[in-house]
Amino acid sequence: MASDSSPVNARGGKCTASLLSSARMFSIFLSRVFLRKNLKCTGPSTPDDSISSPIGNTYSSPGDSARRKRGRRSASSTPVAPSNRRFTTPEATPTPSSTNPRRGGRRTSSNTPTGAATPSYASDVPPSSEGGEGDDADDTPPMYVWGTNISVQDVNAAILRFLRNFREDPSQTEGKYMRAVHNVIEMEGDSLDVDAHDVFDYDGDLYTKMVRFPLEVLAIFDIVLMDMVSRINPLFEKHIQARIFNLKTSTSMRNLNPSDIEKMVSLKGMIIRCSAIIPEIREAVFRCLVCGYYSDPIVVDRGRISEPTICGKQECLARNSMTLVHNRCRFADKQIVRVQETPDEIPEGGTPHTVSLLMHDKLVDVGKPGDRVEVTGIYRAMSVRIGSAHRTVKSLFKTYIDCLHLKKTDKSRMHAEDPMEIENGAVGNDEPLDHEEKVEKLKELSKQPDIYERLTKSLAPNIWELDDVKKGLLCQLFGGNALTLPSGASFRGDINILLVGDPGTSKSQLLQYIHKLSPRGIYTSGRGSSAVGLTAYVAKDPETGETVLESGALVLSDRGICCIDEFDKMSDSARSMLHEVMEQQTVSIAKAGIIASLNARTSVLACANPIGSRYNPRLSVIDNIHLPPTLLSRFDLIYLILDKADEQTDRRLAKHIVALHFENPENSEQEVIDLPTLASYLSYARNHIHPQLSDEAAEELTRGYVEMRRRGNFPGSSKKVITATPRQLESLIRLGEGLARIRFSEKVEKRDVVEAFRLLEVALQQSATDHATGTIDMDLITTGVSASERMRRENLVSTTRNIIMEKMQLGGPSTRLLELLEDVKKQNSGGDVHLADLRNALATLATEGLVVVHGDTVKRI
Amino acid sequence: MVGVAYDCLLNPQGAVRSTFQNAICKASDPAAFDGKDWGVIDLFKQFLYDDVGLSQVPVLNPSSIARLKSNTLVRFRGMIQDMLGNELYVGMYKDGETWRTNKFGDFFQLPMATGSSPDMRVWERRLLYCVPVPGQNSWIEYSSESLLNPSSISSSPPREKRHRDDDTAMDDIDMQVTNEEVHASTSNKKMREDGIASNSSNLGDTPTADIGSATSVLPYFDRTSLPCLVKIYDSPESDLKLNDVFEFIGVLTFDPECSVDKNVDNDFLGNLGDDDTETQMPPTKVPRLHCLIHKKLSNQDFISGSPTLELKSHLVKEMRETLLRHLTTILGNDGVAANLMLLHLLSKVHARVDSTAVGKLSLNLTCFNKETLSVYGHRLNLALKNLLPFTHCVPLTVDYLNKIPLAPKKNYQTNRLVSGILQLAEGSHLTIDETQLQEGRLNPIGLENARVLQSLLEQQKVEYDFTYYKMDMPADIQLLVLSEGKSNILPADLVLPFRPLSVDAVQDVEIEVLQSWRWYLATMRSLSHSITQEMQKVVEDDLVAARQADRSLGSLDFSRFLTMGRLVSLSFGETTLNLEHWQMAKELERLRKERL
Repeated sequence: MASDSSPVNARGGKCTASLLSSARMFSIFLSRVFLRKNLKCTGPSTPDDSISSPIGNTYSSPGDSARRKRGRRSASSTPVAPSNRRFTTPEATPTPSSTNPRRGGRRTSSNTPTGAATPSYASDVPPSSEGGEGDDADDTPPMYVWGTNISVQDVNAAILRFLRNFREDPSQTEGKYMRAVHNVIEMEGDSLDVDAHDVFDYDGDLYTKMVRFPLEVLAIFDIVLMDMVSRINPLFEKHIQARIFNLKTSTSMRNLNPSDIEKMVSLKGMIIRCSAIIPEIREAVFRCLVCGYYSDPIVVDRGRISEPTICGKQECLARNSMTLVHNRCRFADKQIVRVQETPDEIPEGGTPHTVSLLMHDKLVDVGKPGDRVEVTGIYRAMSVRIGSAHRTVKSLFKTYIDCLHLKKTDKSRMHAEDPMEIENGAVGNDEPLDHEEKVEKLKELSKQPDIYERLTKSLAPNIWELDDVKKGLLCQLFGGNALTLPSGASFRGDINILLVGDPGTSKSQLLQYIHKLSPRGIYTSGRGSSAVGLTAYVAKDPETGETVLESGALVLSDRGICCIDEFDKMSDSARSMLHEVMEQQTVSIAKAGIIASLNARTSVLACANPIGSRYNPRLSVIDNIHLPPTLLSRFDLIYLILDKADEQTDRRLAKHIVALHFENPENSEQEVIDLPTLASYLSYARNHIHPQLSDEAAEELTRGYVEMRRRGNFPGSSKKVITATPRQLESLIRLGEGLARIRFSEKVEKRDVVEAFRLLEVALQQSATDHATGTIDMDLITTGVSASERMRRENLVSTTRNIIMEKMQLGGPSTRLLELLEDVKKQNSGGDVHLADLRNALATLATEGLVVVHGDTVKRI
Repeated sequence: MVGVAYDCLLNPQGAVRSTFQNAICKASDPAAFDGKDWGVIDLFKQFLYDDVGLSQVPVLNPSSIARLKSNTLVRFRGMIQDMLGNELYVGMYKDGETWRTNKFGDFFQLPMATGSSPDMRVWERRLLYCVPVPGQNSWIEYSSESLLNPSSISSSPPREKRHRDDDTAMDDIDMQVTNEEVHASTSNKKMREDGIASNSSNLGDTPTADIGSATSVLPYFDRTSLPCLVKIYDSPESDLKLNDVFEFIGVLTFDPECSVDKNVDNDFLGNLGDDDTETQMPPTKVPRLHCLIHKKLSNQDFISGSPTLELKSHLVKEMRETLLRHLTTILGNDGVAANLMLLHLLSKVHARVDSTAVGKLSLNLTCFNKETLSVYGHRLNLALKNLLPFTHCVPLTVDYLNKIPLAPKKNYQTNRLVSGILQLAEGSHLTIDETQLQEGRLNPIGLENARVLQSLLEQQKVEYDFTYYKMDMPADIQLLVLSEGKSNILPADLVLPFRPLSVDAVQDVEIEVLQSWRWYLATMRSLSHSITQEMQKVVEDDLVAARQADRSLGSLDFSRFLTMGRLVSLSFGETTLNLEHWQMAKELERLRKERL
């Protein structure tokens, strides 16, 4: 092997030339056979012959005929042009590359200078030290990719340099791809994935050539790889193909046009159909029925095998006696896959475009229908024959993509950490430059003084009013910083919001909107959600029969926002699941032998109707919302969206609708930041901005918090109202961080804290206003009883106690409740006293051991 | 330049070629022709519009197809039903020393040996599958030839309902049955022949029902609906949208003789199934039209043959009066219903803001029972058919809902969009007869259909099913719902209990009057509309007052008030809202409220 490797190399250039157009599906088997064959055949031939042969028009030479046969399949791929023509512009090569066997030989060629020794050739040859293939130069003239001024040797050397020397970071001793090649050899793999970005970084020129003339360059690539492999491990029999992926630009399916033919393209789409696997015959072996002579393998040319009419054996020469021997033929897998545009690329009023992919060998069955894929391949056109029996073709072409690499992209946005990246990809601007530009733009946007207001306006622009709610939602979208202390205690950064409001106040629209905007998230309706559906459930895998854990909505919206509509209509058991999620941010499961704790770092955005479906101002907020206080306290912001009979709001609504009907809607919304920008703004902020509290802000926070707690204690008032709890303090910090993020600021400043206080106040004033006193009252939220209510009760108890002490004797006759009520009413100046209240008070007294209550009578003991 | 009319009509390709020869002489680089026009379009534009050649261009329709010759200039009016992507073809090639072009022509046959000729340029063109506008009423075709006999149509007594298959039931309501019947039976026959086709599409009167059954052995074109494969050259993609109605003028090519080799390319890409346009739509069945000039059509363009009436206010008022009287008679002297019906017929989506379609006004006439329906339903349908260019009637039954998807669905086997009944052109009218809806169970298809109908009513959007995802297509369809009680699955903008007073025989309508009404509806509908500052103030005040009085009024109701105001005003041919019309709209709303 080692011995013949050198001659192979010596002819490498030439072989390349003939292989140039070799369709990629050719496996090593072929190529190697081809090379050896060539060696055998052309070895004895004259140098002249060997030089001219790459042009491919030496039909007469036996060596060439052998080569021609082998090169047939390849015919499909070379640019067609008269040999004296040079195409330098890419537009000039959109040649319909049909797969006509007859043209095969002729077209498969590189433009070799006629003279054996061109003056320039020495410089074209790579330095011998580079590849250790100095002997190449000895008898090979510079060869060009046909129709171009790309020198085969140059490309060869460039590829070799790239493979040997490319390192992702300079400290590595071994090149990235050398390591990969070794890996492939060890794994007995048959392909090497090459990141086109790496190629570009290392050698931009090579990248350009590769994209423009993929067939030629890839053929060289394969040969270089083959050499390399045989050098490392001469016994390695497989052929390694280079699979290029991650091109710098990706095309949209509908932008493919004639100028892309024979170019390397990359597209994104969704697989819609896969054909069955087609065994495609590659080499056929015939046997003579008369003498049993086996023919040499005959290579298929375009799905057709030219059956030998005469037995090849000199002694036999029987006519029409050859028959196909199936089990000695070689087949390869082929599959045709149809890919369709993803919905985001379809312009309005269009239908999705589709394109066919041709997959070979290992790529077969890589994707299933429904997969979103990123395809790298060569765009090809094939002429259509009038009929299978005709030799003429129509002037129409069928186009397809010869697939080089197929990457499955994630199916849903669930896995999309960064919506911006996806967006970029969809538009086809993967370039970092572009990305930076975008970031610059976002930063510029963030510097605008009114960015907070603008974002607020841009959030659900069709829902007018509710500015404070939108501000809260903005904070939720941007989120605070999650913090894990070294001790293991963690503080969530996610902000939970509850919207409670009258029907028809566009709560659901807000929810839908946030759901659309948030990087990932689940929208669910409380009515249809069960506890397990929200958290996780155990199911039997239909295929393996194992029990597997399936994630529910909350787990699926990890790092996103879980929107729960109709929160009030949720069953209590389902709601109770939320306790853990909303503070600990995990979901713990212990069932069916599975004990697990899943991350559910999700913000909850819930909305509910008040208990009587309309808010009843006479009832307390708690009574209206009718949710357990434990749950309520976990919401950072609770907004009451009330439909107030306010003329001002009505007028605005009327104005809005009139404008909708009579003005050009485009004009009225110019101020608004469009949704994609908003989304990328969001994702950038979430990923890159991690604000810290500034000292000033911390001070303000302390001051404000202390004040909030003190607020209830008016001088002269005996009632103690707890105004704020540490939970609220945490909420404030989160809100402050969110607000800083909105400005792309790394510091939470004083104004953020002030605004956070304001937001909390706005939300609380609505949701926790004690209707009796008008002060903020957190007890209302945390225990369900307002402080003033408690005061009232206490007053009642003391009054009752006094009356009992005064009027009733110890162990004396029992008194009727109604009589007592009359007395209490007389004494109690502060409004109505109901029998129920009195009963409550008496119950308290009974626990004190003062009285005994028997039905309708009270007795002092 | 060969500008002779004769050439352009009968030998358009000659004109194409000769201009090309002229151009190629001047140009040095053949690449300069890529994706560009070299003056052909101008030539034809001049011929058609300046030299009034348009009227001489024959119209391509089922009846004329037999007379038309291949490679002549024709016009075709149709709706873009599906887009088949781009096609690469040899645009120009060198024949010896001279360049020749193949633009605006079918493929020529290329011997394989020369197929590789480097002296050729590959260009691309877009393929659009166009069908006659769904629900097109017969008067459109005949209006120019004045074949319409209005008295026989509008005064024919309501017929006894025959009971047939569900999918032909809608045809029963059609009065000009002959055509439809033929069609329905042919498509039924086809379905029997081709079982697969019938589950994907067995809508009697969607012309595309026969796509799936390309294998059917109909010897010749479908008599009633002639699809056409239009090839568009050098036109930006955004110009032509799905469901748009266009008039295409171009070179017709078809070949009823050519036998298609079914085994074309089975060795290669053909393996993916029969998604090849040639095999699916053989030139024998679907003519090709190489489009030179295309023009988007609105409803107005279909009112041909009627005198171009001027927008004189007294004339418009008069037309409004007579039409309203006509509608009142048809609706059994129910004035409110007639008024609302008029507004409904004039409605049109004129703007979209986020998910709301502004300007739609769907109408739900309730309190229909078997008797009233048999009397008024048919009368109404007839009247609508005579007044509007594109109408459809859907008898909603549980079976009907459960049977076929109403929304179009992509069939990946054939790589075609299978049309549903809801794939309608802009400005179509759809009557949904809910009275026949009985209790029953909806299967998944039925649920989906109900949802699709609902979203059509609420947002004027139809969700097209692409299996792996769905796509919302904006629609502009006037929806009329006839039901017994208030429809629950179909929430219309206006709900009105129908109260007919008396059954009067419908007067014969003269053809001229009918045509003026058609003109009136199409024209008034397309008028733009504005509001003055003062009026805006009044409207706002009124809305605020209304809301102060009734808290249940929401933005949807406000929207409806404004739409009604606008339409009342439009019905008088006014382009600005004035107080009087606003009051009328309010009065109508009050009368409607009284009935609820």
